[in-house]
Amino acid sequence: MPELGRAALIVALGLALYALLAGAYAAWSGRRRLAASAQNAILAAFAATLAASLVLAAALLRDDFSFTYVQEHTSSDLSSAYKLSAFWGGQEGSLLLWLLILTGYSAAAVAFGRRVGRDLLAWVVPVLGGVCVFFAFMVTVVASPFATQPAPAEGAGMTASLQNPYMLAHPPLLYLGYVGLAIPWAFAMGALLSRRTDERWIVATRRWTLAAWTFLGVGQLLGAHWAYEEIGWGGYFAWDPVENAALMPWLAATAFLHSVMIQEKRGMLKVWNMILVVGAFLLSLFGTFLTRSGVVNSIHSFTQSSIGPWFLFFIVLATGFSLALVFSRLPILRSQTRLESLISREATFLYNNLLLVALCLTILWGVLFPLVSEAVRGEAVNVGGPYYNFFLRSFGLPLLLLMGIGPLIAWRRASLRALGRTFLVPLGVALAVGLVLLVLGAGSSIPGLIAYTFSAFVLASIAFEFVRGTRARRALGASSWPAAFSSLVSRNRRRYGGYIVHAAVVLLAIGVAGSSAYETVREGKLRPGQELRVADYTLRLRSIEQRETANAVQVRAVLDVERDGSELGSLRAGKNTYRVGDEVSNEVGIRSDLLTGEDLFVTTDRIDGDDSVYVKVFVKPLVNFIWLAGIVFILGSLVTLWPDAREQRRLLLRYEPQAAPTEA
Amino acid sequence: MIALSVAALLAVFLLYTSIAGGGTPSLRPSQLDARDGRVTLAGKVVHGSVRGDAREGGLRFRLRDVEGTASVPVLYRGSVPDLFDEDRDIVVQGTLRNGVFVAQPGTLVTKCPSKYAPAKSGSQDRA
Amino acid sequence: MTLLALALAAALAVACVVYVARPFLREPAPAVDRLDEPGELERRRLALAEERDRALGALKELEFDHRTGAVSDEDYRALVGPLRRTAAEALRALEPRATGELGRVRAGR
Repeated sequence: MPELGRAALIVALGLALYALLAGAYAAWSGRRRLAASAQNAILAAFAATLAASLVLAAALLRDDFSFTYVQEHTSSDLSSAYKLSAFWGGQEGSLLLWLLILTGYSAAAVAFGRRVGRDLLAWVVPVLGGVCVFFAFMVTVVASPFATQPAPAEGAGMTASLQNPYMLAHPPLLYLGYVGLAIPWAFAMGALLSRRTDERWIVATRRWTLAAWTFLGVGQLLGAHWAYEEIGWGGYFAWDPVENAALMPWLAATAFLHSVMIQEKRGMLKVWNMILVVGAFLLSLFGTFLTRSGVVNSIHSFTQSSIGPWFLFFIVLATGFSLALVFSRLPILRSQTRLESLISREATFLYNNLLLVALCLTILWGVLFPLVSEAVRGEAVNVGGPYYNFFLRSFGLPLLLLMGIGPLIAWRRASLRALGRTFLVPLGVALAVGLVLLVLGAGSSIPGLIAYTFSAFVLASIAFEFVRGTRARRALGASSWPAAFSSLVSRNRRRYGGYIVHAAVVLLAIGVAGSSAYETVREGKLRPGQELRVADYTLRLRSIEQRETANAVQVRAVLDVERDGSELGSLRAGKNTYRVGDEVSNEVGIRSDLLTGEDLFVTTDRIDGDDSVYVKVFVKPLVNFIWLAGIVFILGSLVTLWPDAREQRRLLLRYEPQAAPTEA
Repeated sequence: MIALSVAALLAVFLLYTSIAGGGTPSLRPSQLDARDGRVTLAGKVVHGSVRGDAREGGLRFRLRDVEGTASVPVLYRGSVPDLFDEDRDIVVQGTLRNGVFVAQPGTLVTKCPSKYAPAKSGSQDRA
Repeated sequence: MTLLALALAAALAVACVVYVARPFLREPAPAVDRLDEPGELERRRLALAEERDRALGALKELEFDHRTGAVSDEDYRALVGPLRRTAAEALRALEPRATGELGRVRAGR
């Protein structure tokens, strides 16, 4: 069946080309039927890509080793779920997944976007088509998943470390995020091409951007969790280029989500928003390029791949196109409104944007520095963790503070006296918490203490907002507190959903601060019966256990844990040695304290024949707040994303007054 | 105002990275020569050269250019990642002393074996 | 196997071509094939509509902020006047345009 797959991709490429060329001509010359035809091409491209994807998926599940790709990434003893995950386990398949998600998003945007105005959509279609052409070209010509060979008896198998549930979720979620950022970009370019000055494109893409941003964020947290629990090197984020590759577009998208609110409310920052949406898309392309091309030394990608130059070419093309377009439309993007006061909600949004972009650029500089220094000095110089952590603190802590200030300030102008009154309670709470923490010994890390104090401030201000709002609704006549609360949130989904997301970010900050600034690490060699003391815990090695399973030999050190005199149970940590490929995986032992969010994290370096173990033990306070933050983040996003009938009616009235029931 | 802040920012980065010396050079064995100071060394473990124990006495092996033959002896103490093996690509930090690259404990990192290296977004092994 | 694959591929290709050609097949000789672009009038109406919504939205948010206590009474008094005026102006600016547009539509532009 590989011929079907190959043919389907060629069809997809042809359709994408048609969407690009015919769509562009239709938009330029104003032809309705041709424009509709180009729209259909986008939808058909999705169908063709889906067909190709099904062919690959079927081949993977069937163990059809005549497909080179199937042979290289699976073996017949894998479970069906992991065979399917091999779809995105290699270069060619993951590019096909990119194309599938891209055509999927494009088709949906086109199908649901018919309301946004035919002229705008007419230009969005060729832009989307252009991106599809590139990826379709890559999977058809450069890196086809449908290469064939005389079928060998068995496949090469999958690395043991990729055989876990994370592999099923993490890459698709990240892709849903990366690719999703193409939609607002395409609509922005479409708006510029059609010389529109209204906010239609923002209104049309708001939920897409939010969804993509949420997927990207959750995908990264999942990746961090994977690194923490499965790989077990003792942390969850290492500022590796591949990790940074996903963080940068996310930061740009965060800035965009905020500044777009200012454009909606005050009509300001039109050019800035264009730059941001272009930046977010380009960074997501750049991120995809980074993780595949081996251009930057990362422990993830090492081979110089042939697709690198192609990606680079496309990124340069997209950058040139976007910037040229923005520059040529500058006159129509100028707005009259000016910032009225440096102390207003608009101003805090602006500061937030500057900080986010600054952090994003810092990371970009850090990632590119080895390349730059190699070009200039002849040797690649890597900036390390200290560089990133310094700027994370410098920009991140003020950002944290702003999250608490923003909601408490009014739009346009805020008088200092009013500020004082609204800040009083949250500020008081924060100072109290800070003092208590200082007494408890948190002064050992100043950035950590500041992070905690700011977090308390933000949480207090968010709680304050919820309380005030509920009280106001109650005063308006709501029947009970819960009713007031639910009607408050449902009538102001964007605002209160946003507050929930802010709370998630604060939880993340608390978790990161606790587990990095207040972490304790100890290493030691233990024989059965010997103890190791780390922070409040005492670990005693009881014995070494060995177990055989179908595909591995599992060796575990069994450690008894004690704290303040009470027995806390036992922890197992060790290694699995897999029979196929002779690989070893690290299996860490984690004991999570549900009350304090603290983790006792044990990883074994080596287990010798004489039953002695080299262990490395971490005590990470509050680290589970990070995972909790992920859940709260999803909840907040859902609230913000939830369809709002009232808002829809209002938008309908604005954009299609003749379609709506007569107003005046 | 925006342009000014961006310019100021860039100035800060450039200052930090060039003065504070935030970076460590990443070299191949053939580039080591008579370099002193902390560097990051990247290369391939020479087949048949691994001896000793990283925990007792020190692990010794030769590291060569990934594409090339120039090699250097390495002495390493500390935790060894599970994926470490001959013919694997590794990265380690340390200093060259009397012709032997003495590594900083705990800085040995193994890259994923090339079979799985053609990557996708960050789901590979972090050794 | 290969024959089946080729047949399916051909079917896919044909289906896609037909779908792409559909707009032309459904209307082989339409009266108007122009893509409606918003004219000058429509653009101005859109801009005014957005301004009206912005002003009304700002007013609503000010009321909300005031009710929940984020904005003090004096700040409210200072801000509400100009906002109400802007909103009224935006509504007024939209009215004659709307009637003008409706008039044109009824006259069969």
